Amino acid sequence: MTAPIDARTLPSGTVLTPDLAIIGGGPAGISLALALANTKLNILLLESGGENFDPANQKMYAGDADGVHYTALDAGRLRFLGGSTNHWGGWCRPLDAIDFEKRDWIPHSGWPMSRKSLEGYYQHAQKLVEAGPWIYDKADAIIAAKGELLPLGDGGIYTSWFQFSKTRDSDLPTYFGHRYEDDLKRSRVKVLLNANVTGIRLAPDAKRVERLDGATLNGKSFTVKPRFTVLACGGMENVRLLLASNDVMTAGIGNQNDLVGRFFGDNPTPRDVGTMVVFSGALAPYYNNTMQMGDGPVMRATFSPTGDFCRAKKVAGSLTTVEQPVELDETGKAAVITTALALGVDASSAKAYSIGCGMELLPDPDRRLTLTGEKDALGLPRLKLHMTMAEADFTLYRKTLQELGRQLLASKTGMLRLNFDKREEWSKTMDWGNHHLGTTRMHADPGQGVVDANQMVHGIGNLYVAGSSVFPTYGSSNPTLNLLALTLRLADHLKKATA
Amino acid sequence: MIAGVAAVGAAAAAGLYRFTDLFRRHYAPTPYDDLLGQLVDREQAARLGAKVAGGANAGALAARLRAALTGGLTAAAIADAGAGRVQDVDGWLLPDSVALLSALAARA
Repeated sequence: MTAPIDARTLPSGTVLTPDLAIIGGGPAGISLALALANTKLNILLLESGGENFDPANQKMYAGDADGVHYTALDAGRLRFLGGSTNHWGGWCRPLDAIDFEKRDWIPHSGWPMSRKSLEGYYQHAQKLVEAGPWIYDKADAIIAAKGELLPLGDGGIYTSWFQFSKTRDSDLPTYFGHRYEDDLKRSRVKVLLNANVTGIRLAPDAKRVERLDGATLNGKSFTVKPRFTVLACGGMENVRLLLASNDVMTAGIGNQNDLVGRFFGDNPTPRDVGTMVVFSGALAPYYNNTMQMGDGPVMRATFSPTGDFCRAKKVAGSLTTVEQPVELDETGKAAVITTALALGVDASSAKAYSIGCGMELLPDPDRRLTLTGEKDALGLPRLKLHMTMAEADFTLYRKTLQELGRQLLASKTGMLRLNFDKREEWSKTMDWGNHHLGTTRMHADPGQGVVDANQMVHGIGNLYVAGSSVFPTYGSSNPTLNLLALTLRLADHLKKATA
Repeated sequence: MIAGVAAVGAAAAAGLYRFTDLFRRHYAPTPYDDLLGQLVDREQAARLGAKVAGGANAGALAARLRAALTGGLTAAAIADAGAGRVQDVDGWLLPDSVALLSALAARA
């Protein structure tokens, strides 16, 4: 057993020389460490927080924001072992094949790899999040046999499925720090807690990382001299560390093309975007809540656009959720009665539900993180987020809702109201997934991305980035399962690169 | 005896007519009753139709509807949804034929 070491107890000036330093003990960092634990590599996992929440550590995340209203920078993530899985909702769904494609109607879209590149890693990722057997959209066939699935008929929208992370004790969801702490202890991975990396120092030729500067909030300092480094601090902190490490590359590491921090992404989750009426009034419980499927996984149904519909109508990804029941006003009742009677359907038991969604944002280079003049307790500049949302983000999703409404009518299942038209209306109920994406985007061309297809920072042979900050296009699925698959792929690459 | 039974029957029928009259609104004849007669609940349709945007008058709406409803309202509504002929009325997505007939009910 190797217990975690508290960096605050190290003698100042300590120098550590692992083969691999992983900066960040969130889902990516922990999974990468465990995936490489059986190799000959000496691995050091540096976590800036401790084993539990600490306000002083959390305060290190504070920053500014302007533009579209967004979650406070120290509220949407957590700085202790397990990272933001300590407050995640456990929603899991793989990205769709189209999410990886270059879509000519979405500027800056496309990954330098296909969904197939991740296929071999999803099952392992699924085990890590403890979401049960891999079912997802195969649930359609299971549910259809019971006759409970809402018929949608032919069209561009299909019933899609989430699975949910579940811990051994049946609590939702898996908190990576607590869940995998014992695995880390049993492994050869050395975990250093309360260990803040304050700088990544490059060799003078800017082609390799020479050392990492570390500090603790009780005034200790230490140095790490790794052969390889993986930055896995999340979509905001990765940016801060790269930009602040500007002694050799004056614009910041990997920022020679002014890309680090740009293309910040998230999944907007506006509420009550529509009202869905089910004429029969019968709605299976897995539509507006999670449901354990027998002895199997916990699942929930959503509505997604097919790849063909996205291509034909030039829309982005989205996942429409059914939420709580709502009462209709007089116009709504008139709409339901008149339409149902016209379609020859009995709507005497009709029920209405609010619907929400998780949307895919269009990549925007101006939605970005930059450093401010204000500094944290260890002297690292704080971040500022400029948040944007384009008119097209709303209008494209409306097209998807319109198709859902059309299909509900054509299949005589129900009908739909679009509750919002103007941007101001959408903005009033806007919430965010707090999925920090895209800020160290992956691209084969160094002029268009910070890391290459192997997640290596362009031009710096021993520095890699793990996590959803490398997603060049975001998709609408929650990122955790996907970033884990990507991290496991990185682990395979590192096994070869470090040999 | 027979006359008595007939009288009772007539009175009952008249009463029944009056009874149902309480629940079913009667409308003055219009030139569009061939179309409006396809609505099971004209009052609700008129309420919905009042929200239909656009300034088309009843005559113009009727002309479009007579061309669209040759196979009846149900067939037209299903065909509209299948073909993507859907209108947004106060946010509600409706088959064209339903929206137009509702508008006619409001304007007739």
